[in-house]
Amino acid sequence: MTAYIRSFFFFATFSLLASSAWAQNTVMISGYVRDSASGERLNQAQVFVSSDLGTASVQTNNYGFYSLRLTAGSYNLTTSASGHVTRKLAIKISTDQSLNIELAPQAEAMQEIYIGASRNANTRGLNMSTQTINGQTIKKIPALLGEADVVRSIQMLPGVSTVGEGATGFNVRGGGIDQNLILMDEAPVFNSAHLFGFFSIFNPDAVKDVQLIKGGIPAAYGGRLSSTLDVIMRDGNEKEFKSSGGVGTIFSRFAVEGPLMKEHPLAKDSTKTESASFIVAGRRSYIDFLAKPFLPESLSGSQFFFYDFTAKANYTRGNDRFYLSTYLGDDVFNAVDAFGFKWGNSTATARWNHVFNPRLFSNTTYYYSRYRYNFIFDVGGNRFDWQSYIVNNSVKSDFRLYANSKNEVSFGGQMTYYRFIPGEAEANNISGRTVFGLPDRFGLENALYLSDDINANGKFSVRAGLRVSQFLYLGPGKVYTYYPAWEVGQRRFVESITESKKGEVVAQYINPEPRLGLKYELSKSSSLKAGYNRMAQYLHLISNTAASVPLDVWQPSTNNIKPQLADQVTLGYFKNLVLPLKSKPDAALETSVEGFYKTLQNQVDYIDGASLLLNEFLEGELLTGIGRAYGLEAYVRKNSGAFTGWISYTLSRSERQVEGINNGDWYPNRFDRKHNLNIITQYRLNPEWDFAANWAFSSGTPTTFYSGQYTVQGYLVPDAGSKSRNNVRNPNYHRLDLSATWTRRKSDKWERSWVFSVYNAYNRRNPFSIYFDTNYKDLGQNAAIRYSIIGSFVPAVSYNFTWN
Amino acid sequence: MELIKRLRFLLPLLVFASCEDVIQLSVDQGPPKLVVDAFVSNIIKPQTIRLTRSINYFDSSGSEPGVEGATVLLVDTSTFKIFPFTDQGQGQYVFNPNPATGDTFTIGRSYTLLIASGSDTFVSFSTLHRTTQVDSLMKIPVEGNGPPFITTGCYLDMIAYDQPGPGDFWWVKTYRNDTFQNRIDQLNLAADMGNTNNGLDGGMFIYPVRTGISDRTRSFQAGEEVQVEIHSISREAYYWFLLIQNENFNGGLFATPPSNIPTNIVNINPAKKTPLAGFFCMTAAKPFTYLVTE
Repeated sequence: MTAYIRSFFFFATFSLLASSAWAQNTVMISGYVRDSASGERLNQAQVFVSSDLGTASVQTNNYGFYSLRLTAGSYNLTTSASGHVTRKLAIKISTDQSLNIELAPQAEAMQEIYIGASRNANTRGLNMSTQTINGQTIKKIPALLGEADVVRSIQMLPGVSTVGEGATGFNVRGGGIDQNLILMDEAPVFNSAHLFGFFSIFNPDAVKDVQLIKGGIPAAYGGRLSSTLDVIMRDGNEKEFKSSGGVGTIFSRFAVEGPLMKEHPLAKDSTKTESASFIVAGRRSYIDFLAKPFLPESLSGSQFFFYDFTAKANYTRGNDRFYLSTYLGDDVFNAVDAFGFKWGNSTATARWNHVFNPRLFSNTTYYYSRYRYNFIFDVGGNRFDWQSYIVNNSVKSDFRLYANSKNEVSFGGQMTYYRFIPGEAEANNISGRTVFGLPDRFGLENALYLSDDINANGKFSVRAGLRVSQFLYLGPGKVYTYYPAWEVGQRRFVESITESKKGEVVAQYINPEPRLGLKYELSKSSSLKAGYNRMAQYLHLISNTAASVPLDVWQPSTNNIKPQLADQVTLGYFKNLVLPLKSKPDAALETSVEGFYKTLQNQVDYIDGASLLLNEFLEGELLTGIGRAYGLEAYVRKNSGAFTGWISYTLSRSERQVEGINNGDWYPNRFDRKHNLNIITQYRLNPEWDFAANWAFSSGTPTTFYSGQYTVQGYLVPDAGSKSRNNVRNPNYHRLDLSATWTRRKSDKWERSWVFSVYNAYNRRNPFSIYFDTNYKDLGQNAAIRYSIIGSFVPAVSYNFTWN
Repeated sequence: MELIKRLRFLLPLLVFASCEDVIQLSVDQGPPKLVVDAFVSNIIKPQTIRLTRSINYFDSSGSEPGVEGATVLLVDTSTFKIFPFTDQGQGQYVFNPNPATGDTFTIGRSYTLLIASGSDTFVSFSTLHRTTQVDSLMKIPVEGNGPPFITTGCYLDMIAYDQPGPGDFWWVKTYRNDTFQNRIDQLNLAADMGNTNNGLDGGMFIYPVRTGISDRTRSFQAGEEVQVEIHSISREAYYWFLLIQNENFNGGLFATPPSNIPTNIVNINPAKKTPLAGFFCMTAAKPFTYLVTE
């Protein structure tokens, strides 16, 4: 490890020296790109300069900061960002200069739903397999019960799928739901679902934008195999107070934001300013109130609701900017005298942005993140109370060095301490109170990374990075060793149990994770890109149910569970087409075709009949195997004009091979879908009326059916045949959603809108699963039961308002 | 698993649009499996080994065809004494133990099952483990509200002790008026004195095991005869029963993938791929009979 650290710092120092050596005849222009109405920092805005001396461009980082190195002279500077009017400035620079650029949001009347980054950013940038959706777009996609939703929108993108309605999470390029790193303002969340997955935990009122990275993942990200979903929350309006909210069928929302301190120059140095702003947003569902009249008396005191609360404040002073943000959310289900069930995430993040000089930007983050669930079961005097947690505390630092016109270097490190409390349980019955549970587990995950975006010449660029991650499985705790299985695929029994001391390293894993991105510009509007990434994942979600349940337990890598590894290569062609429309000369189509091939190692699977809940010897129930996923994604997106939207199509396969399952042959993963087609359309008829429709189609997911039965000692034994795992496909899934939004602007200050929506418009009964019951309705007969979570069309009306 | 299954009832509460309906499916059963049902006890009464073939999952006739004409033997592995099971037709092979001639099974010995059927020869091994016995049964009166709910009568509470020392596995069989209670929710297992393998050893069996001999909805009535047998089983048999239980309770939204129950019976010619299922286990038990009184 020390060798890695040493070489890392050597490289970092070398880069810094190299950059200062070349800094002789050039000047730096740097600053923030902001929204002129709210002061919100705009990430992924494109800053482009041109003159006789040449051209250069840069994209703002996640905090809206940009920096460009230029030869002194006069330039035309063009800045563009999604949802904003492109701004052109003529600048003349002779010394290092700080320039904050404000972009006006596109006027309400001509607001075009502008999706994705700026024009040609997709072909010019090094990013591939990356999609961005901004908060405004998410709000326009028709959704269940008229409620805009981040994760449901993500599921419309190429390469992303879900097991079905009501399934927690999402699957990216044939990866499991636990293989997505979901970051909310830098803090990871471990369950992104409210209500088993019908809604996600992100309040769209507070979301600035969402970036999903599926391939060519930069070295700054790590810890999960398949994707990174970076949810960036809004900073809060710096210029004026604003409130917004909505009343929907299932929940209500409310958000307030505004300046805490209006921007003003500092007394000491008038070139620098000071400002502060905040945003607070909350949601609560009221199914319990609505359901009350329909519930039997025995359930009348029941609580069924979820809520979430997001708060964020920031303070800027000169070259420093501080953020504090927090999220709290829970789903609560309490049926009186029967069971109680509660789960939720909470996070707290403190961040510090510092601009050392125009060349070096840094962000330092501390976060605390916790996922918890609690299950109470109380029937006939038998009470069972179970809690489980995963808690992590992390410190990370990220630096971006705009070294010279050819190199943009990112480097940093992260240290995360995990505490896993897999189960604390208490049982009470007539024979007394028993406290039991599983021992806590501890882990420390460290990572260092260095990445350089090298612009070799105008057309060819390379992003070369290396991330080195380390995981320590720490004491105190019980350390289990297991005998080999008596037969492949069977349970392994404990050989010995020893105690480890506090801080003792029980198992250690180190993985170098190389990352590579290549881009070659074929023309101004087309490019070829290729990417490779290796990812290591030290946390595992233990689940073998058809739909992931909130009860699923996160486990660290241990002496018995090895870290998961993935290697992915991606190749893509990106092309922007200009439509020959006279009225809209700018109207363009972004298109891309990408192929990927991914191999996975140490994938966790389970022995037949595994017992995963509160099992001290869980590790003996696990099997490991390999996986592979490959596919082709096609994507066409129209970003401007009254008519916008996208079409995404994915042809893919995701398979697994585990000794002891399916005769050791490859079998399709539970979330394998061959075809996946999404058509998202939005049409603005006039400033008052917006219409949207989307249609989703996907091949049925595989599932395992019993085929035979027999009896032994009078007990019925269902039998799945010889090659059984995921041997049958569910029927295809398809669904049409429609929505219409009517917006009324009463005054400059007051705007309201009504959203009318129909989900599953043509009443398709999509099976979530087909399952078997060996004693259906106590008739003692076997039956196949189709379970549709949404078995009919679902109309809804919701009301939204904003007030300045 | 039962816990998880209950969660499925949450969803309809939440989304009124959800629905379940029974559909007709045709599944390809593939070649039927030869099923060996060989739980042989040391109780002095005719012992039966069944050979059958599995049937389609949706075949509601419930009768599996018997496999006739096979040779079925048990061999004492230390003395090589042979216990022949004779073909009674319909796949039933029966051995009559006789203490007078020494034709009984001995605790602590291990036995080999040999089956020759067609061109196949199957073999399996099992040890006859020590047993324990029922000390007494206690009546617990129950006031019910009538069928289909709980009937008024009594439950029975089994007082019995696990053998000291870990590693005992028990299968508690209940006969009610000579009828074996074979519903899957009546499968009553113990690992040492506990109902799970939680390390409790040597004491009185804990509650779910003790009351597991009763039928929750159909309480016992005066005049009924109840016979309880605590069979010693192998560790493998214990887990094998758990797998069956899991498979039967598996269902709903949070179902785990259906899986095949393994077998401990092997074909001595590994090249032969005759599909095989079932289990062989020697068990020891001392029956305890009880007459329910007013």
